Amino acid sequence: MREFALTDMERLGAFDEADRTFQMTEEAFRVFYELTARPVRVYLARMTGDDRLADDLLQETYYRFLRANVAFDSDDHRKNYLFRIATNLVHDHRRKPFMEIPSAVIPDVPDAAAAARNAERAARRLDLHRAMDRLKPRERSMLWLAYAQGWSHEEIASAIGVKTASLKAMLHRARQRLLKSLNTGGRS
Amino acid sequence: MNSVDCPHEQLVVNAVLTGRWPESCDASLVAHAKECATCREIANVSLLLREDNDHSRFEMHVPAAGQVWWRAAVRARLESTHAATRPITWMHGITAAIVLGMMLAALTALWPMMPDVMNVVRAIGRDYLPSPEVASALAGGLRQSLMIGAIAAALLVLTPLALYFVLSDD
Repeated sequence: MREFALTDMERLGAFDEADRTFQMTEEAFRVFYELTARPVRVYLARMTGDDRLADDLLQETYYRFLRANVAFDSDDHRKNYLFRIATNLVHDHRRKPFMEIPSAVIPDVPDAAAAARNAERAARRLDLHRAMDRLKPRERSMLWLAYAQGWSHEEIASAIGVKTASLKAMLHRARQRLLKSLNTGGRS
Repeated sequence: MNSVDCPHEQLVVNAVLTGRWPESCDASLVAHAKECATCREIANVSLLLREDNDHSRFEMHVPAAGQVWWRAAVRARLESTHAATRPITWMHGITAAIVLGMMLAALTALWPMMPDVMNVVRAIGRDYLPSPEVASALAGGLRQSLMIGAIAAALLVLTPLALYFVLSDD
């Protein structure tokens, strides 16, 4: 219950300390963040179905990543570790029953044909979001990492904590469930 | 090849995610996907997810790197401050428990001496007060006052201790 508050000077001091506390410098972090923030943010939004929660989890994901005491041997290893943290955070929140469908922003359109195309695309995405929301969190993770991020089976298995041998069958079942849900308009 | 697995599926996914599917990729792969239910299914799912991913990445707002770094730095500082004060909190708790224990031990040791103290008070009263009834009444009153005082003292120590442990987050 006791609250700790930092003075302005302590906040400034936190920057100096951060370079020692975190596993990378601010400059290196900026580069890494620019490369990964959007994919991770989209992943979190799709996994949770909640934009505000995705924002919170994004901050938490990078915080845990910065504090991780792991020797990364490549950029891919670093990126996979980041997604693994995000996946674990999402699974920690998976008991939340209500999933908000993120609103698709439809840009201004110059003509009727483009408007129709955009409307069709928006409807398709909405159907996809609804179908994804009906899957189990692990199925959502697998499908997104496999077919939106293009990860290998080994990378996905490592990120979500299953055996590679089991993953193919799990992916197959998840695909079937997604397509069935899409074909029935989400009424499964 | 079984129904859940195809050696070409990663090639199909890569072709979709790089925007080469189906026109700009290997014709034999497209021909294979027409025959292979797994690859056809994977291509359909991947096209849908890729479209959603592309649009979401374009639309989505992410906080600036500096903002995320700043929040993480401040939080790390808060957590280190919290961790640094934890031993002090523990020391306070241990000290308070020792003081309480010593007070209870002293009270337990002194309690059997209470009748003797009362007798001394009565004797003084007999010697210096005008009647034995007044002395006896004074001794009785003094005994009650001492008991109330002991309970009040114990409460005065116990209440802050109880509040300390309830309000402490450790």
